[in-house]
Amino acid sequence: METIIETKKLSHVYLDGQDNEIKALDNISLKIKEGEFVAIIGTNGSGKSTLARHFNALLRPTSGQCIINGLSSDQEENIWAIRQSVGMVFQNPDNQIVAAIVEEDIAFGPENIGVPHSEIRKRVEAALATVKMTEYAKHAPHLLSGGQKQRVAIAGVLALLPRCIVLDEPTAMLDPQGRAEIVETVLRLNKEQKITIIYITHKMEEALLADRIIVMKDGCLVTEGTPKTVFSEVELIQELGLEVPLAAEVSADLKLAGKRLPAGIITHEELAKALCPLN
Amino acid sequence: MLSDITLGQYYPGTSPIHKLDPRSKILASLLYIIGVFLATEPISYAIIISFLFGIIMLSKLPVYLVLKSIKPLWIIIVLTLAIHVFTGQGEELWSWKYFTVTKEGLAMGIKMSLRLILLLMISSILTFTTSPIVLTDGIEALLKPFRKLGVPAHELAMMMTIALRFIPTLLEETDRIMKAQASRGADFSSGNLIKRIKSLLPILIPLFISAFRRADELAVAMEARCYRGGEGRTRMHELQYHKRDGVAGVSLAILIVVLSFLRWGLA
Amino acid sequence: MSIELDNISYTYMKKTPYERTALKNISLEIKKGEFVAVIGSTGSGKSTLMQHFNALLKPDCGTVKIDNIDINIKSRDCKSAKNKVGMVFQYPEHQIFAETAYEDVAFGPRNKGLSEEEVERAVRSALKCVNLDYDTYALRSPFQLSGGQMRRLAIAGILAMEPDYLILDEPSAGLDPKARDDIFREIGELYETRKMAVILVTHSMEEAATYADRLLVMSKGKIVIDASPQTVFQKQRKLLKEVGLDVPETIKLAECLNARGLNIAEDVIQKQDLVTAILEWEGLK
Repeated sequence: METIIETKKLSHVYLDGQDNEIKALDNISLKIKEGEFVAIIGTNGSGKSTLARHFNALLRPTSGQCIINGLSSDQEENIWAIRQSVGMVFQNPDNQIVAAIVEEDIAFGPENIGVPHSEIRKRVEAALATVKMTEYAKHAPHLLSGGQKQRVAIAGVLALLPRCIVLDEPTAMLDPQGRAEIVETVLRLNKEQKITIIYITHKMEEALLADRIIVMKDGCLVTEGTPKTVFSEVELIQELGLEVPLAAEVSADLKLAGKRLPAGIITHEELAKALCPLN
Repeated sequence: MLSDITLGQYYPGTSPIHKLDPRSKILASLLYIIGVFLATEPISYAIIISFLFGIIMLSKLPVYLVLKSIKPLWIIIVLTLAIHVFTGQGEELWSWKYFTVTKEGLAMGIKMSLRLILLLMISSILTFTTSPIVLTDGIEALLKPFRKLGVPAHELAMMMTIALRFIPTLLEETDRIMKAQASRGADFSSGNLIKRIKSLLPILIPLFISAFRRADELAVAMEARCYRGGEGRTRMHELQYHKRDGVAGVSLAILIVVLSFLRWGLA
Repeated sequence: MSIELDNISYTYMKKTPYERTALKNISLEIKKGEFVAVIGSTGSGKSTLMQHFNALLKPDCGTVKIDNIDINIKSRDCKSAKNKVGMVFQYPEHQIFAETAYEDVAFGPRNKGLSEEEVERAVRSALKCVNLDYDTYALRSPFQLSGGQMRRLAIAGILAMEPDYLILDEPSAGLDPKARDDIFREIGELYETRKMAVILVTHSMEEAATYADRLLVMSKGKIVIDASPQTVFQKQRKLLKEVGLDVPETIKLAECLNARGLNIAEDVIQKQDLVTAILEWEGLK
């Protein structure tokens, strides 16, 4: 598979209110392949949101490079092409909807890049259908539920026909139902439309769904791998202030108590199988 | 609750007036206002008032709704009437102590307050029949030719769009903050003026902080969606003139011609 | 010493086309010293119910009494009765307004009319409860704190009112696991030391099951279940599912294990109990 995003020794330094240099990202090198579903996890302040903003050229590297679709984000002329191919969805659903009518908001992106109006109409309808919000096309966003608003935000990004979508804690402010709606939508985009997904979260349940997990702490990459390999490292993950699946946690405790269990248990079923191999 | 306040006064409908292009409606309202100032003779007033009621009929708006729009400014209307009635010079009709009512004063008072009432009514018909969003589009389109003169048409329209989007959200937020501070024992309704203004700070400060945070996040989100000002932007809804816009234009033109004729005659 | 709701109902936007009944005939008593969790999906009426506890909303009918005082009838005692209820809204950090942490926490006590010495004592004690060191933080601007610290400062602002009944609406919303655990540890300690009532409104079954000893399950403006977590998860599974709620992960794991042939109790809520149960089963085998 082709690489869609690559960072080379990417660092990002900013000044805080007291003019102290804060290193938000420290020498990050990673590759994300076309069609992948990657979760980036870490506690608040681990640098995961800063990294996400580099993928869409909202931030530029202090040193190192971020290359999207072969275009380096430090070149001014590449920025608009990058923002078209990598869409961003943010945490607060209220603060990313621009217009007072759902379909007008979804049209905002294509309008910005000068798509002809008949084509905009088609894109808006397709995007609404993808996130299953067609019947809300004429509604006012402030009357929608959190999950619905966030789906409108996703549709607004889809209308730009991106190859990759970066979601920065998209479910942090949603209730369980809204969370389920977003997870379902994101999975569908990845599986059916083959859109590359970069999913920033500190929710273990959501990270589990990814093909690959990247773990961050204090602006550095700590570890990466499949959910299975990452979450089997119970101690490491818990030390970072994150959660592991219950089955992994319980099997770690059982091992501590002397029980012999195979490595890599993260689901209930796997633990049950390991405890009762015969049935 | 604060959030019960409805924004604007759009009265949804599918009448010919509702369907007019917003640009035509704005221009037609301006022409009508010119018409109001052209009217001097009673016959002119009769024409212009019937014209207004014709529009109301066509728009299928309840008449009381349009009349109600006078209410917020009734004091000014009454004052206008009173000032003219009591200060006019001319043929005396009635007098008591320092107050004298003249025929000319009375006529002038009625004329002036009638003008005010008609102005209010026509502009509320405009807002009743045009949603704020469409109105914004219309204003942007009309201001576009003046961009070369430095009128920021796109920016104004974008500001209005964002304001329309966020006013309900901020109202909800105000409600929430008020409740939170009330739960901490805040009292917004007692004490003298200074104390009351001071008691608003615990609401206003968080509200401003939140509004700035929202603005900040919204700016980033807009940039992420390739926003870079009005240059090269297209619109999903292109405004288009239809036959009915022509009909509206012609009607207004006739109105103006008739009123000018009545005012200045053939000379 | 209790909050008593007697047959209250509430409708939003009465006499408009948008009329919506949010609460229907709710009767309820919560005693001082209880830890109650209110769960239910969005729109079930949780937040509306909560706002009746300190008269932010007035019921259409029925009465709300705090320590036997009707808080919706203006009287000398009504204000002090309302002040016994501390209300921590969702994202409470959004209500912070003062220039220093001290001033913000002092807002509530001052409104209660305490003297400056008493205010200072209340502020010190409240900051201590949320583990913000007085000397380090009292004179700092609240807006320089981290997200988790701001949340805790806002909670301190409520605690400084020294409520007998503390209501928390999703206190962990948007926090990462570490910050969430910190907050719940502090709430647990507070509950133990101050012997007040804690009413936790949450979407998380884990939080409800772990911390509360009484669950109120709400659906469509009514309380459909009022029982201990164990009873709810053992006996009311079907009803829970009907109102769109789930059981805690630990119970799901126990079920899955039993389906494979283990034999452990299916009402385990704490992870440690589950581990012990598995080890015991291993021993018996």
